[in-house]
Amino acid sequence: MKRAATIFILGILLQTICFADTAAAADIAVVVHRDVPIDNLSFPELRKILLGDRQFWSSNLRVTLLIRAPVAHERDVVLKNILQMTEAQFRQYWIGKVFRAESSVAPKTIYTNEMAASLIANLPGSMSFIESGQVPKDMKILRIDGLLPGDKGYPLN
Amino acid sequence: MFKPIFFGYLSLLLTSTAFAQSGNAPDQAQLIQNLMSRIDQLERRVAELEGARAQATAAALAPAAADAMQMGVQADVTDSRPSLHIAGFTDINFAATDQPGVHSGFSEGQFILHLNSNLSPKVSFMGEVSFSARSDAGIGTPAATGFNAEVERSIIRFAQNDYFKVSFGRYHTPINYWNTAFHHGQWLQTSASRPEMTQFGGRFIPVHFVGSLVEGAVGAGGLNFNYNFGIGNGRSSVISRGGDAGDSNNSRAWLVNMFVRPDSLYGLQVGGSAYRDRISTGGREYNEWITSSHFVWSRETPEVIAEFANVRHESLTGSEPVSNSQAYYIQTAYRLPIAQKRLKPYYRFEYIHVPESDSVFQPIQNLAGSTAGLRYDISSFAAIKFEYRNQRRGPGIPRINGGFLQTSFTF
Repeated sequence: MKRAATIFILGILLQTICFADTAAAADIAVVVHRDVPIDNLSFPELRKILLGDRQFWSSNLRVTLLIRAPVAHERDVVLKNILQMTEAQFRQYWIGKVFRAESSVAPKTIYTNEMAASLIANLPGSMSFIESGQVPKDMKILRIDGLLPGDKGYPLN
Repeated sequence: MFKPIFFGYLSLLLTSTAFAQSGNAPDQAQLIQNLMSRIDQLERRVAELEGARAQATAAALAPAAADAMQMGVQADVTDSRPSLHIAGFTDINFAATDQPGVHSGFSEGQFILHLNSNLSPKVSFMGEVSFSARSDAGIGTPAATGFNAEVERSIIRFAQNDYFKVSFGRYHTPINYWNTAFHHGQWLQTSASRPEMTQFGGRFIPVHFVGSLVEGAVGAGGLNFNYNFGIGNGRSSVISRGGDAGDSNNSRAWLVNMFVRPDSLYGLQVGGSAYRDRISTGGREYNEWITSSHFVWSRETPEVIAEFANVRHESLTGSEPVSNSQAYYIQTAYRLPIAQKRLKPYYRFEYIHVPESDSVFQPIQNLAGSTAGLRYDISSFAAIKFEYRNQRRGPGIPRINGGFLQTSFTF
């Protein structure tokens, strides 16, 4: 009897995990260096950081934006879901931003999620976007409007 | 006892499967879509990994790369000197008009170099240098050079945080949207030409400002309120120029510029400015008071830029009446969803009115004109623009028609 009940419960759990994992795998996590003094960003705040309109976490800590190179899924999500821009619009926006002297540097381009994770671990104030299934366990993930990757209504997927 | 539980679980599975097949068919389609996109992602990732072994090496050296990047971001120092980043803009033009005495032909646009250097985590420098072709090249003694070199902007800025930044230098006067959004980068602007009210070398708006600015932005409950306060030399005795070598009198110019970018209307910017100066020109003195406003919708479907400015001149040395000159323009554009979104038609109407009583602006001609064109983005960094202009300078003066072709790019 006990054995049958255990199999029954395990079956349901497995089914749940399989479906939940499919949903969470497509979500993009906002990952930051552990010294970033916030845990949650509103969606407009996240957009402002990507637009370079917010450049400081605090007076002593600048935002260092690391964004995957073109073609990466993480970059597509950032451009489409957050900025609603094409690749060309995003490039032109940042060239203009630096040319207007509104920002002294454009986002840094990174080529793999492993590179992103390594840089974030070593670079104070850094922030990047990594597919949630590939985020190393000890990394700090920001909530967006109170939601984490995998939560219902999470906006980055 | 085992059988009922087994059948219970089986029925639960069947029920959930049936639900998925009947009631949640779109979910299943979504699941398939997700899996397909996941396969696409994995394929792209393999391509990336195969094509970017050098980058993989960089990843392995991440701590060192992080150090270098931190230097790059926060204090750009190489061999005990700040490193310098250079970018550029330029354009080549062809023009043909029916204006008497004007020849058709090609012309070189300004050759712009943009210099940028981070001196410390909070201090940065930016400069902009232009080289403009001279129509009087080779004439005079000594012969005029082929190009005129000019320091357009030279700004050193200390950024305490997002709310407070202070800078000193030569700016494009931040009382006009176009002037500070596109500067000398023709490629950045949708159209081939600037509105005449903000023309380089023009008089209506003081294009350059030498002095100091305090600027910043605050959230203001999602309004995103931005400000600039400035004090500087204002116009020189040649009023189309800023007071680079010193002010033309002992009265500084000051300006206030404020605008909002609401979170709820992503792409909208609305603002206004005020500018006050005392002008000393031609042995006479005037108080100048400029008020301006702008409305910008920067999303390209559509794009709308509208600006208005009123310039009030009050003579301090004569009996001339107070005068008010106005200028405005409205430009609309739309990024078409065809041809990989490379095409962007646009139209601009602009108007300038200078009363005869405004002796400071007398060289400025009135204008009512239309500009229509098509921008084609050849790549992410280059564009071709076809433009038609129709302008009328005043009653009884024939309209001038012109066709223009420009290729502009950044490098």
